[in-house]
Amino acid sequence: MPRTNWLTCITLGAALSLPLLAGAQAQVKEAAAPAATRATRTPAPADAHVYIGWPNDGEVLHTRRFKVWFGTRNFGVAPAGVTKANTGHHHLLIDTALPPLDEPIPNDKHHLHFGAGQTETYIELPPGTHTLQLIMGDADHVPHDPPLISKKITIHVQ
Amino acid sequence: MKRICFIAAASALIALAANSTTTSAALNEGAHAYIIWPRDGAVIPGGKFWLRMGLSGAGIAPAGIDRPNTGHHHVIIDSDLPPPGEPIPNDKKHLHFGAGQTEAHIELPPGRHTIQLILGDADHIPQNPPIISKKITVIVPQ
Repeated sequence: MPRTNWLTCITLGAALSLPLLAGAQAQVKEAAAPAATRATRTPAPADAHVYIGWPNDGEVLHTRRFKVWFGTRNFGVAPAGVTKANTGHHHLLIDTALPPLDEPIPNDKHHLHFGAGQTETYIELPPGTHTLQLIMGDADHVPHDPPLISKKITIHVQ
Repeated sequence: MKRICFIAAASALIALAANSTTTSAALNEGAHAYIIWPRDGAVIPGGKFWLRMGLSGAGIAPAGIDRPNTGHHHVIIDSDLPPPGEPIPNDKKHLHFGAGQTEAHIELPPGRHTIQLILGDADHIPQNPPIISKKITVIVPQ
């Protein structure tokens, strides 16, 4: 059995237990790094499709805070941690390139996770030109195979 | 291995659930469903279209998945809301999207039709209060 599976398992269990286990954070950090690479990715059907429903590519926004809605076709949404065929959860990439496809999607200001199964969000961006792109992650936040990636759109916040 | 992993994860979840006072059917106040497309009053030649389902303030989880503040979409066509507290019927007028879908390919015959969304929990029972969309009307020309 590949060692990484154990570590993924430990990481998952630890992450889920985190609110209960005071002082467990150090263990989680240790386990997180080795779990970053997996031998196989969760398969996705060839006709699955992810897109940004709003804003449109090239949109000029007159407000800094705006809604982004996530479109998914021939594919379902499930919260993080739920393993079910043909499902995943959304990640919104802001002003960044695609992350590595064989490891969990980073979780920071440029990589927003929607692990509660959300299909829309509000974001606030400073004035200027920005890029937005969606990528689905599986139960463990790893992109599918093939990856479900939206077109990268450019928006202008005034 | 997978089973062990599942048990570990499940145990953690159960522990979490035991600590929480939120029930599976509970949703954030203000959570609501809405139909992104088509628009109310839309005229749809041919009657075939992709229905886009929107959900604010809550998340999507497939049927059978018991997570706080989540549910899955049901599309009600040419029908009133189903009774509260019971599983939403599963027939031509009540379409279930238990795989967590947020789009549906719909085909309607010529005429006026109503479409409305209602969220169901892991067991297809509407939340209390129910998370429903506005009931819209679409027209399919002859």
